[in-house]
This record gives sequence, structure tokens and C-alpha cells, in this order.
Amino acid sequence: MDFLSPYRPQLLSILRIASALFFLEHPSAKFLAFPHVAYFDNLDPLSWPIGISGIIETVFGLLLLVGLWSRLAAFILSGEMAVAYFYFHISHGGILPILNMGEGAVMYCFAFLYLAAAGPGPWSVDAMMGRKTVTA
Amino acid sequence: MDFLAPYRPQLLSVMRIAVALVFLEFPSAKFLAFPYDPHLSGMSPFDWPAGVSGVIEGAFGLLLLFGLWGRLAAFILSGEMAFAYFIAHAPQGFFPLLNNGLAAVVFCFIFLYLAAAGPGPWSIDAARKTSTI
Repeated sequence: MDFLSPYRPQLLSILRIASALFFLEHPSAKFLAFPHVAYFDNLDPLSWPIGISGIIETVFGLLLLVGLWSRLAAFILSGEMAVAYFYFHISHGGILPILNMGEGAVMYCFAFLYLAAAGPGPWSVDAMMGRKTVTA
Repeated sequence: MDFLAPYRPQLLSVMRIAVALVFLEFPSAKFLAFPYDPHLSGMSPFDWPAGVSGVIEGAFGLLLLFGLWGRLAAFILSGEMAFAYFIAHAPQGFFPLLNNGLAAVVFCFIFLYLAAAGPGPWSIDAARKTSTI
């Protein structure tokens, strides 16, 4: 069952790009209404906590997507998701992710923490610029 | 910003364990009513597709949690989540944010990476020294 092992570096980049794209749907829905989510209509970008968190998600989500300063971006977003989970989801539905709608936040939190340690992989701006990255 | 790099192998295991625990809530809700979910609980294991998929999720989710045959379990679950996304969620809309399929796609890609990366040092596989980190 090791046939995928040779592709681990590329799959690290794929994990980073896929999770960043899904993640970017949240700020995109908040500020661009794309896709449209009625809950986010007329959201003030400076409102606390949803607007401010949307700005953080946009900036660092884009950096993570292209793989620029991506360890830093992943680390910040991992922390943001931990705050979102404890601040928002637990207060809305208890500790279990399946009931409080927080599965996304938990999984982003741990995946981004891993990406902060593992780096962006070979398909990234960091790698193109020759920055020292762990790609294995 | 490399201070976490030395802990990469351990964080691989942490991600595996955390994601497997979140994942196991689904078969647990389906068959054990823990936590109780009005859409899932009380399901027969033979219902197609949600019950049968719950059996797959329970069996391979536990293997993944403990890291026994972790690559195989992750590969099967990644495929299952891709299947679930396209048959259950994609018909409800294109965007994962709106078709309730966000968890399925994120599981799918994390499991695919785990199938390539292995279960990490904190796993039964590592203790048995079969497949490595």
C-alpha cells in the first residue's frame, strides 16, 4: 500500500491548494456574495467577529493558496480556526463538531497546523523562489 | 517561521488522530445515536447508501484512528468521501459551502494525503515497524 508514497510532496501541495480553495469560499461569500449566503448579506468588513475574521481569512487564505509565506499563513489560520471553534461553534452547539457545525473549523485547524510544520510543498511560490521548504 | 518543522512527524499523527475522531462521529451518530442526530441516528447498517457507508466509515475510521494499516484505511476512506461528495452533495449545488459537502471534500483530500504520507510515529503501524512515517 505504498504506491502513493512517491507522490507525497505533490500531494502535500494538492492538500494545501484544495483546502485553501475551500477555505476561501468563506470570505468570498462574506464580501463578494459568491456564492451567495443570505446570512452574510450586508456584512460590514469591520464588524466583530465575522467581518474582521473574513479579512484575516482573505489575506492569509490567498497567501496559503499560492504558497507564499505559507507556513506563516497556515499557522495564523490554524490559530484563527481554533478561536472560531471555541468562540463560535462550541457556544452554538456544544463540544461535538457534528452537532455544532464546526467540523470544517476543526479540520482546517489541524490541517493548517500540519501545513505550518510541513511547508507548502513543491507547487508553490515559496518553492519557485527557492526558499528552503520541506517538500518530502 | 520554521519552529514547527521539527515536530512535523508528530503533527502528522496529531492531524490523523484528530481528523479520524471527527470522522468517527458520523458512524457513531448513525449506529450508536452518540451524539444523537435526527437525520442519522437509528439507521440500519444495510441501508443504501448511508447505512452501508456507515459500516465502512466505522471499520476504516477505527483503523485510521489507531494507525493500523493506516495508508490502506486512509486510501479507502478518501475514495469513499469522493464518492459521497459526488452522489450526495454535488447534486445539491456546486459550492461545498452550500451543498453541505464541505466536510466530505476536506476529509477526501486529507485522507488522500495520509494515504501517501502514512500514519506518522504515533500509530500501531509505527510500533510494529511495518509501514513507516
